[in-house]
Amino acid sequence: MGPNKEPLLEVKNLRKYFPIKDGLAIKSYIKAVDGVSFTINQGETMGLVGESGCGKSTMARTIMRLYKPTDGEICFHGNNLATLKGSQLLPYRKRIQMIFQDPYASLNGRMTVGDIVGEALDIHKLASGKARISMIHELLHKVGLEPDHAIRYPHEFSGGQRQRIGIARALAVSPDFIICDEPISALDVSIQAQIVNMLKDLQSELGLTYLFIAHDLTMVRHISDKIGVMYLGKLVEIADSKTLYKSPRHPYTQALLSAMPIPDPRLASKSRRILIEGDMPSPIDPPLGCRFSTRCQYVHSQCVQEEPKMREISSGHHVACHT
Amino acid sequence: MGEKILELRDLKTSYFTHIGEVKAIRGISFHIHRGEAIGIVGESGSGKSVTALSIMRLLQHPGKIIGGQITFKGKNLLQKSIKEMQCIRGNEISMIFQDSMTSLNPVFTVGNQIIEVILQHHKISKKEAKVKAVEMFKLVGISSPEKRMNQYPHEFSGGMRQRLMIGMALSCEPTLLIADEPTTALDVTIQAQILELMKDLKKRLDTSIILITHDLGVVAALCSRVVVMYSGLIMEEGSIENIFYNSKHPYTQGLLKSIPKANWKDKDKLISIEGTPPDLLGLPDGCPFMPRCSYAMEICKREQSPDFEIEENHRSMCWRLHDEAPKIETWMKRGDFHGTK
Repeated sequence: MGPNKEPLLEVKNLRKYFPIKDGLAIKSYIKAVDGVSFTINQGETMGLVGESGCGKSTMARTIMRLYKPTDGEICFHGNNLATLKGSQLLPYRKRIQMIFQDPYASLNGRMTVGDIVGEALDIHKLASGKARISMIHELLHKVGLEPDHAIRYPHEFSGGQRQRIGIARALAVSPDFIICDEPISALDVSIQAQIVNMLKDLQSELGLTYLFIAHDLTMVRHISDKIGVMYLGKLVEIADSKTLYKSPRHPYTQALLSAMPIPDPRLASKSRRILIEGDMPSPIDPPLGCRFSTRCQYVHSQCVQEEPKMREISSGHHVACHT
Repeated sequence: MGEKILELRDLKTSYFTHIGEVKAIRGISFHIHRGEAIGIVGESGSGKSVTALSIMRLLQHPGKIIGGQITFKGKNLLQKSIKEMQCIRGNEISMIFQDSMTSLNPVFTVGNQIIEVILQHHKISKKEAKVKAVEMFKLVGISSPEKRMNQYPHEFSGGMRQRLMIGMALSCEPTLLIADEPTTALDVTIQAQILELMKDLKKRLDTSIILITHDLGVVAALCSRVVVMYSGLIMEEGSIENIFYNSKHPYTQGLLKSIPKANWKDKDKLISIEGTPPDLLGLPDGCPFMPRCSYAMEICKREQSPDFEIEENHRSMCWRLHDEAPKIETWMKRGDFHGTK
């Protein structure tokens, strides 16, 4: 199955600001997502990496329309989701689903697994009675669980199994597009591999498109066709995953890749780390010019004054950097 | 290599819960030399953290050490009174916990908390303790320490708080530092900073470090020896070279295989270890890894294998190493791991 080149999701100049209020007056804004554009083609997986606080999850939630975007367009199959309200969104909720980070907090502890998976079927009136039960069993089977798990409660399952339940719930409405918000970071290494393999199998079986968010760079590379690197509310580099790992162009991407622990003692002792000093600046008052300029080792005067634009340096490889 | 400063011999720890005895540690032995860093790796529930808590004698009810010996600098820690343990904790053995947010007290300034540790173990005035605290802040790379001392934990970022914890743990210059997943909750860039810091401190202060983690990449960066744990037993122990390039236990091999490699190809599948770790309440008689092991034999079901010594400082608990057993091919030849050489 080769990904066909039809765009499924086009995000254009998306912004999401959160107001900071002082009483009733709005004092300033947290610019969590500040002008992000990218395209995901049908059947493709796009990875999204960046440090915590860079706006990855906010962006995922804005695309899901759990938040109302401040500005910009979210084109899904050519329809702009950004301006829709309330029940207008319902048909799209069926087509875009999400898998959450924390398999412990994202399942309702008072509902049986069958009801958790079946809830979406009820809401969208997809099945009832016997058909509903057989659908739930089929979904559980698809993610490697047993049908009799349907009558149990989430606390009876391990972390990896719970994440499988979360995936079954996302698959229940047969979506086209699934946003995975750090689906494996809470799991053990051996279980991570199980979940990643399963996501890949499901993709080729059902023709799914993924947006895969993570801060673990090793796994992202394994699952993604292309990868976007985010820093302080902006994308700084997008490239297909091979190019990004082989020849990263943005200093932040380079630092991020060199910080990756290498599970090989001989290579680890040889490799040189580019350490980024300090912490990420606050998104309330981001630096003028390039946002990475405060921590960048190649910084020069232009970087401080002028914000770099995203430009294409080779086919499909976009970088926002002056140097 | 320096003297042995800590030695565990056949340590057994259990939790006596109302539904039965949970055998968290089932007889483990290892040691650590002065100035050495060893890694303990394993999945959650394998007993890594309980090992650390047992050494510190910080087990909470219903946990209990039911057998074995912990020798620290020639003295048996299990025979110490609560008072004596308090003198050792923080002063000679220090611990860094995984979650830096919950291990700092939110209602006291960080300066206050670090000075408290220093005053507890040294007979010096508050003023001198403050000077020492400022030094510690500088050591772990926190800028403008005088100002930072008066701030509360919530004013620090995750990486900064973890630095603080390390600073606090090192403030009495302990001989042994136990770090329980010190970088798990942090970003890779901050993780790299913390690892560099620990490496540097090991060199400068000659501290021994026990690093508990599930990330083999972190171990490769810092440690010279690795202990692999699985459901309360040490499955394999060896030098970092032996574990990474010449591992003899199917579990260690599985762990290594489930990390994506650099020479990955588009459609390559990750090799995962199927199944989940066993329930510690009803442990099987045989090898706990047997249900997930693709090399399992009849005997693995009935009996736990003894330790087999492969060479000096490399041992593994697997029946496949018995003279009469069919051998497993070492899946990873030297240097093959990243396929680059």
